[in-house]
Amino acid sequence: MSAIGELSTMTRRKGPMTKEEKKANGRDNKAAYIFLLPWLIGLVAITVGPMLMSLYLSFTDYNLLQPPEWVGLDNFIRMFGDARLHNSLRVTFTYVLVGVPLQLGVALLIALVLDKGLRGLPFYRSIFYLPSLLGGSVAVAILWKQIFGTTGLVNQVLAMVGIEGPGWISDPNTALGSIILLHVWTFGSPMIIFLAGLRQIPVMYYEAAKVDGATTLQQFWRITLPMLSPIIFFNLVLQIIGSFQSFTQAFIVSGGNGGPSDSTMFFTLYLYQKGFGQFDMGYASAMAWFLLVIIGVFTAINFIASKYWVFYDD
Amino acid sequence: MPVNSKGEAAASAAASQTRTSAPKAKRKLRASALVAATAAAVLALTACGGGGGSETKSADGKVELRFAWWGGDKRAQVTQEAIAAFEAENPNIKIKPEYGDWSGYWDKLATQVAANDAPDIIQMDEKYITEYSTRGALLDLSKYDIDTSKLDAAALDAGKGEKGLTGIAAGINAATILANPAVFQAAGVAIPDDKTWTWEDFERVSAEVTAKSPKGTYGAAAYGTDEASLGVWLRQNGKSLYTSDGKLGFEPSDIAEWWAFLKQLSEKKAVPSASEVVEAEAAPLDQSGLATGKNGLAFWWSNQLPALEKAAGGELQILRFPSKTGKADDAELWYKASQFWSASSRTKHPEETAKFIDFLTNNVKAGEALLADRGVYPNSEVRDAIAPKLAKADVKVVDFIAGIKEELGDAPAAPPKGAGAIQEIVKRYTSEVLFDRLSTEEAGKKAVDEMKSAIS
Repeated sequence: MSAIGELSTMTRRKGPMTKEEKKANGRDNKAAYIFLLPWLIGLVAITVGPMLMSLYLSFTDYNLLQPPEWVGLDNFIRMFGDARLHNSLRVTFTYVLVGVPLQLGVALLIALVLDKGLRGLPFYRSIFYLPSLLGGSVAVAILWKQIFGTTGLVNQVLAMVGIEGPGWISDPNTALGSIILLHVWTFGSPMIIFLAGLRQIPVMYYEAAKVDGATTLQQFWRITLPMLSPIIFFNLVLQIIGSFQSFTQAFIVSGGNGGPSDSTMFFTLYLYQKGFGQFDMGYASAMAWFLLVIIGVFTAINFIASKYWVFYDD
Repeated sequence: MPVNSKGEAAASAAASQTRTSAPKAKRKLRASALVAATAAAVLALTACGGGGGSETKSADGKVELRFAWWGGDKRAQVTQEAIAAFEAENPNIKIKPEYGDWSGYWDKLATQVAANDAPDIIQMDEKYITEYSTRGALLDLSKYDIDTSKLDAAALDAGKGEKGLTGIAAGINAATILANPAVFQAAGVAIPDDKTWTWEDFERVSAEVTAKSPKGTYGAAAYGTDEASLGVWLRQNGKSLYTSDGKLGFEPSDIAEWWAFLKQLSEKKAVPSASEVVEAEAAPLDQSGLATGKNGLAFWWSNQLPALEKAAGGELQILRFPSKTGKADDAELWYKASQFWSASSRTKHPEETAKFIDFLTNNVKAGEALLADRGVYPNSEVRDAIAPKLAKADVKVVDFIAGIKEELGDAPAAPPKGAGAIQEIVKRYTSEVLFDRLSTEEAGKKAVDEMKSAIS
């Protein structure tokens, strides 16, 4: 994995240190740790602590009301036979594998348009970024529910042209699609990163290509995409991880039950239901760790695959 | 658990770096991609932090008790009045209300109990009382100074279990069908006589109302979003939801028949479309089809009538469930403890908590505030004392409960541990059936399997 190798070369020191250097280094470290302290306390108290607790709970039968009981690998074994869990994995994978490429595609497209040197760029950038800030919020999920309801805005517009739309969110065939659409709509943050990446590509490449008679499309395929590939990779990794953990949108849109008929039952939503609704926190903890493994595997695949398509200019 | 935040912060930091020096920045970008990836993954595991201790004594030395209930605006209003009356009599005790909708109430309560942060006084439902009491989360109220001598025997027994008296009935209600006369009038259809109607009548009348109403209005709301209507159906067929030894009291074929009839209703447009049924499930009481005049008939508990009338802005009528035979005696209704007053076993102030529950149960002032919102008062003295104060809607409820007394079936077995999961299972498979994703037989088999494992 080149990125990790890169990271270690960055931190590796050259040659042995003198005594003075070591002393100064120690002072620096101490100061650094003091400055880091607020963050460190937070990390231990609200991240590492609960993580270890959940690791322990994943090996127990814990009903929230009574002390946990050790059951070994029982929870993990139960997952194999849990049809609803398998369904939730199917839903989540569909969401990630359809939603992320779509969202990144839209983000790149808008970034390309904005990069053409539009007047009032900061304004458009903010406008397009807005959904990213709002999209994960409860308010927008509720709004989404209204817009895509049986008598919502979408169907009212469709009715004007004589189409009777389904209840987008209340029909099991279209509910997941509506939530994926909500996700795609929040393309703002990858778009901003794409924009930054596009600005990095030296203009001379395009000028040289133009002199050689390359078309705009050829320029895009031969210059823009390869030069942008590290940024695409970065966005891909982040968005995949984020999407696997999506919760709020499905929770609000389905009224907390992943319905209709489990069609929007995301893995995290099922985890929540098991833990907080059905007094099965041990199982829910085991699910959380299973999700970590899934995300880990996907991220590893991403990094390995990146060797074959990500192009580093340096 | 919106987990993106950290990742995005790292991302924008990385983006701003790229503006400066190119090759070095790219290297940094890759490094921060890795860091952000790890950070985001780690966040997956740290869902929701714990609660921490609660403030039980306020600065002026008063005892503060937390009181949690579910319910709508009207309930909040009358309950606040009861609290004010209690605080006036007990200046040293302050009651802090915590209330919300049914759906979020149980997730919250489970979390609070797990975090050792349970409210002192808990409004409890029969579906969950066994779960909480057998696991030691509720106080045995018989050990405290609460007068239960005036309570109806059946209501008192409903709160007794293996861990003693862990709940005192707050009210008595019954499963009913409520009718919105405005919808019937607009359609020009007469409201049927509930003492003689059958399920066939229910179907015929509902389909007729739909046919004669504007688009989007239906004769009846669909059942199948709650197990109460299933309970009535099963009892009319000689079965029950649960047996007295805590098992499931019916077979897959029984629930399949119930769904088959629902499908029949749906095909005749007596009830809303599958999509509309799903949407209606999520609506709060005030937005329900009955309250907004979109349904002529709907399945509700008797105590919900006053709140629904208030939301509908007009009168509603209480009807008995239809029966198979057309005889009210065969409707197999029963008196249910609408909800219980329970106390957390870990309350730091059991005496004060008991005092408040005693007040709610036996004090006429509490009765005058609460009236019939939580059902008919189980305390006969309070019931008589507040009778003149009841509003018209409350009187309707009280009269209905009194009126069906001679027709009641046997008291049903108490829901066993795990019964809280049943409603969700019923709901989910109802939509599987309505959307034609499963046949009624398949749904019956799967649902019963899931229910059995939920209560085992």
